[in-house]
Amino acid sequence: MMPETLVEDTVVGDTMRVLVIEDDAEMASFIEKVLVEAGHSVDKAIDGERGLELARSTDFDALVVDRMLPAKDGLTLLKEYREAGGKTPALFLSALGDVQNRVQGLKAGAEDYLSNPFAPSELAARVEALGRRQVGEPQVTSLKAGDLEMNLLTRKVTRAGKKIDLQPREFRLLEYLMRHAGQVVTRTMLLEKVWDYNFDPQTNVIDVHISRLRAKIDKEFEEPLLHTVRGAGYRLQG
Amino acid sequence: MKLGLPTFLRTTTFKLALLYSAMFAAFSAALLVYLYYSTVYYIRNESDRRLDLEFEQLGNAYYTGGMERLSQSVLERMTRTGSTYFYYLEDSSGRKIAGHFQRMPVAPPEVDSKTVYFDFDQPEPDGSMIVRSAAGKFVRLRDNGGALLVAFDTAQQTAIVVRIQRAIFIAAPIGLILSLLGGVLISRGAASRADELARTAEAVMGGELGRRVPVRGSGDEFDRLGQRINAMLDQIEKLVDATRHTGNAIAHDLRSPLSRLRNRLEIALSQPLSQEAASATLNETVEEVDRVLATFNAILRLARLEAGAEGERVRMDVSELAEELAELFDPACEEAELTFKSQIARHLMILGDRDLIGQALSNMLDNAVKYTPAGGAISFTAVRGPDGTIDLTVVDSGPGVPQEARKTVVQRFQRLDSARTQPGSGLGLSLVDSVADMHGGELILQDAGGPPGQPGLKAILRLPRA
Repeated sequence: MMPETLVEDTVVGDTMRVLVIEDDAEMASFIEKVLVEAGHSVDKAIDGERGLELARSTDFDALVVDRMLPAKDGLTLLKEYREAGGKTPALFLSALGDVQNRVQGLKAGAEDYLSNPFAPSELAARVEALGRRQVGEPQVTSLKAGDLEMNLLTRKVTRAGKKIDLQPREFRLLEYLMRHAGQVVTRTMLLEKVWDYNFDPQTNVIDVHISRLRAKIDKEFEEPLLHTVRGAGYRLQG
Repeated sequence: MKLGLPTFLRTTTFKLALLYSAMFAAFSAALLVYLYYSTVYYIRNESDRRLDLEFEQLGNAYYTGGMERLSQSVLERMTRTGSTYFYYLEDSSGRKIAGHFQRMPVAPPEVDSKTVYFDFDQPEPDGSMIVRSAAGKFVRLRDNGGALLVAFDTAQQTAIVVRIQRAIFIAAPIGLILSLLGGVLISRGAASRADELARTAEAVMGGELGRRVPVRGSGDEFDRLGQRINAMLDQIEKLVDATRHTGNAIAHDLRSPLSRLRNRLEIALSQPLSQEAASATLNETVEEVDRVLATFNAILRLARLEAGAEGERVRMDVSELAEELAELFDPACEEAELTFKSQIARHLMILGDRDLIGQALSNMLDNAVKYTPAGGAISFTAVRGPDGTIDLTVVDSGPGVPQEARKTVVQRFQRLDSARTQPGSGLGLSLVDSVADMHGGELILQDAGGPPGQPGLKAILRLPRA
C-alpha cells in the first residue's frame, strides 16, 4: 500500500514552527512537505543572509540549515547566530558521507546533523527531537509514559507498579525512548544517542535490542507501549 | 640540451654565469688595483726612507766637518761599490764641488724636501750615451748657500711597476674568462638539476604517474626539493588511483541495480497499473534506490579512507569498544540462532579512530552473523598479539573462505559466488582492510579449523598497540 503521506503514522504532537534555510528549491519544498505533513509550520529562506536575518528576527522552534548556501554558508551562519546569542536548536544538513562535516557542523553550534540523502521519517524525527530539546530538560528525577515509570535516581523501572529488571544498556535505551515519548525515534538516532556510534553496524542489532526491551516492558501487559513505525523507527506511546 | 641564443640568454645558467663573472671580475679588479697602488706606494716610501737616511748621514758629516767633510763623504759614497745613488754637490756660486753630474741636472724645487724627477744622459763604457731616469731630493745647505742632490736610478722601480702592470693586464682577461667558465659550470650544474625536475613534471603531466625525480643522496637543496616533490607525487598517485578505483567500483557495482531499476520502471510504464501495483512498484523502487545510495556512500567512504581524508586517530581503549560491540551483537546472534562468545582482555590501548575501528569490527561481526548458518557459533576475542600488537578476532563456523580467494575477498566488490544471494555491497572486508591499513595494522584471514566443507573463517584485525 502506497502511503498517502511521506511520513506515515505520524502523531501530531506539539506543532512546531521551523525555519528551513535551503537554496535548492526542490529540496526546500521536499523538507517543507515532510514537516508540514508531520504537523509543523514551515518558513523558508533561500540564502544564508536572509536565513540569518529571519532566524534572528522571528521566534522559531527549530532551524534546518543546509551547509552549502549562497551569500553565507551554513557553518558561518550558525556560528554568527550562536555568537549573537541565538538559542533555537538547529539541524545541520550536508552532503553524503562526509564525516568531517558532521564534526564541523556540531562545532559550529548545530544540535544535530543529517546527511543528504535522508529518509523523510529521519528528518521529521530529528526535527521533532530538536524541538523538544528547546523546551528545556528541567532536572527531572523520573519519567512517565502511560503506566510505565522510570526513576532516574534509583534507576528503578516499574509498569503498573510491577518492577522491571533492565540491563544498563536497556535502561539507557528506554530512558531515551521515554524522554522522546510520543515521537518517532529512528534506528540511526538510537545508535548515535544511546550507543554514541557514528557508524552503521549493519546487522539489525537495534531491532534485536528493541525486541528484548519490548519483551520486558510489554509482554505481560495488554496495551503495548513500544511501537514499531514502519519504515521509520520506533515510538514509545503511553 | 640545444638552445638558440635568445633562449640561452634567458636561462638561469646564463644569468648566474654572468653574475658570477661580474662579481669575480669586480673582486679581482679591486684586488689588482689595491695590489698595484700598495706596491707603488711601498716602493716610493722605501726610496724616500733611504734618501732621507743618506741625507741624515751626509748632514752629520756636514755638521761635524763642514763643507770639506761633506764633499769627502760624497766622494766616498760615489766610489762605494754597489751604490745605486747619484750625488751632486755645489757651492753657493753654483760651482760643482763633487758629484756624478757636470752640473745640477734639475731645477731646484720650491720646497727642499720634495722629491724631484729628472732624466740625464749617462755615458756607457762603449762611448754611447743612454738616457736614464732618476728621482731624488735636493737640499740647500744652510749658512753656506751650497746645495746637495741625492738621487737614485728609477729604472728598477719602473721595471717593477711595469711588471706589475703587465701581470695585471694578462691576469685580468684570464681571470675574467675563468670566472665566466666557472660561472657557467656551476650554474649548469644547478640548471641541470632544475631540468630534471622539469622533465619529471612533464612526464607526470603526460600521464607517467610513476615517474619520480632522481635523488642523488647528497642531501643538498635539490635533493630535499626532489624528495618533497616525490612525496607529493606519491600522494597524488595514491589519490588518482583511489579516484580511478572509485570510478571502476561505481561502474561495476552501481550499474546493475540501476539497470534493474530502469527495467522495473520500464515494465511499469508499459502497462496500465492498478493503484496497488503502482504503490508496490514505487516502494520497490525506493528500496532499490536506497540500496544504491548505501553502496555509493560506502564507495565514497572507502575512497576517502584510502586517500587519507578521513579518520582522526587518538589514544583509545579498544577493549571498551569491543565490549560494547559484543553486547550490541549478542542479541542479534541469539536471534539468528548462533552461539556467541566473547572474551575481551581489559584495557588494550591503540591509536585509533573510534568510529572507523567500530565500523571495521561491526563489519567483521556482521559478516560472521550473515554467513554462519543457524546453529553455528561465533566467537569474538581481543587479546595481545605478537610483537606489540593487539588481535581483534572474529571466528565463525560458516563456510569459510578458500585459501585461493582470501586475497581477492578483501578487494573491493569481491564476493564469493556463494555469497551473492546475501544482501551487501561486497565492501565490508575491503573497508576492514583499509581501516587496518590506515592504522598501520593488517587484516588476516584464516581457516577456523572446522570440519571439511564447513571450516569457518577466522578474521584477525591486528593493530599496533599504543
